[in-house]
Amino acid sequence: MGSNSTGASAPLNPTVEILLRFVNEDLLAGSQEKVAPDTALFDEGRIDSLKILRLIAFLEVRSGKKIPDELIVMDRFRTIETIAKNFPDR
Amino acid sequence: MSILNSRASNLPHHDFPISDDGLLFPGTAESRLIHALHSRFGEMALAAGAEELQFPTVIAEEILDRSEYFRSFPHYASAVNSPNKTGRYFLSPAVCYHCYQLLMNSVLAGDTVLTCQGRCFRAESANDSHLWEFTMREIVFFGGDSFVRAQCDAWKQKIVGWAAQLGLTVNLAPATDPFFAGEIRGKKLLQQIKGLKYELTAPGLSGTDVPVASFNLHERFFTSRFEVTLTGGEPAHSGCVAFGIERWCMALLAQHGVNQALRRVEESDDLR
Repeated sequence: MGSNSTGASAPLNPTVEILLRFVNEDLLAGSQEKVAPDTALFDEGRIDSLKILRLIAFLEVRSGKKIPDELIVMDRFRTIETIAKNFPDR
Repeated sequence: MSILNSRASNLPHHDFPISDDGLLFPGTAESRLIHALHSRFGEMALAAGAEELQFPTVIAEEILDRSEYFRSFPHYASAVNSPNKTGRYFLSPAVCYHCYQLLMNSVLAGDTVLTCQGRCFRAESANDSHLWEFTMREIVFFGGDSFVRAQCDAWKQKIVGWAAQLGLTVNLAPATDPFFAGEIRGKKLLQQIKGLKYELTAPGLSGTDVPVASFNLHERFFTSRFEVTLTGGEPAHSGCVAFGIERWCMALLAQHGVNQALRRVEESDDLR
C-alpha cells in the first residue's frame, strides 16, 4: 500500500502536485488506496493497461509532445516524482 | 548416393528446407543438430532442478480459453478433430499451458520448477523463421514473486553465457509482442515498463534477427485464472523461459554451418 501524502511536509513541485492529483483523483478514483510522490506506481497492480494509456495521454497533453514508446520504461515511470523529473510541463 | 544426399545437393542455404505452409524437413546432419539441442536444453533444465513432464500435443479449448489465448492470438490457433466429439481441441501453441492445467486448483507446498518439451503449432505467416510446427522447451516457475524473478534472471544469464560459449551472436532485449490479452498498446507498454518479457534474438538464415528464447514473468495472470495458490492462500506468481529449438538451429547454421555448430553444441558446458 502506498504511503499517504497528507502529512505536513515541504511544498511539492508543481508538476508533482498536478500528477499526484491526476493519479489519485482520476486514475485511482473509487479506490481506497492513494499514492504518494514516492510510491512505486506499478506495484500491486495499481496501474493497469488502460490507466497507463490515460497517464501517457495526460503527460503528452501537459508536455505538448508525443512520448515515444521506447521512453516508456520503469526508470522513467517508477514513481510520480520520477515521472515529473523526466516529463516536465512545457 | 542416397535419396537424402541427392536432395541435399539441390537445396539452397543448408539442408533445412521449409515448405510454403511452414513445415520443416531437416536433413540428416541438421536433424542431429536439432537432437543435440534437445539434449542440451533438457540437461540444463534438469541440472537446474526442474521436474520433467511429458504432455500431449493437443490441448482442450477450455484451457486455452481460460488462458485468454484466443483474445491475444485468435488467428494462431490450429483446431483438430477429437475422437469422442465432446469438446474442441487445438494443436498446442505452447507447452506451458499444460502446466497451468496440471496445477489447476492446487496449493503449492513450495517453490516449484517444471520443464517440458513438445511440438507446438502457431499458424503465423510462414517464412524462413516462422514455422507452423516447431519444438519448444520450457522451464516454468511457480512460487513467490521474488523466486520467479530470480529464476528468470538466472536463466537470462545462463543462456547468454551459453550462447557466448557457442560463439553465437545474440541480443537480449525487452520484447514488444504482448503475451497478455486485451488492450494491446496498453498491455504492451505495461509489459515494457515492468520488464515482464525479454527476448533473446540471433541472426537467422536470411540474416535478419529471429527470437530464439523468451524470458517471461506472468505475475498472477495464469495462477489467478487457474487458481494456483501458495500455502498462505495468496495466488502464486509464475514465469517461464522458452526455447525455440529449430530457431537455435537456424541461428547456428547461419553463423557456423552444420558441422561446426554440432561440434560446438556437443562440446559446450551446460554452465550449471
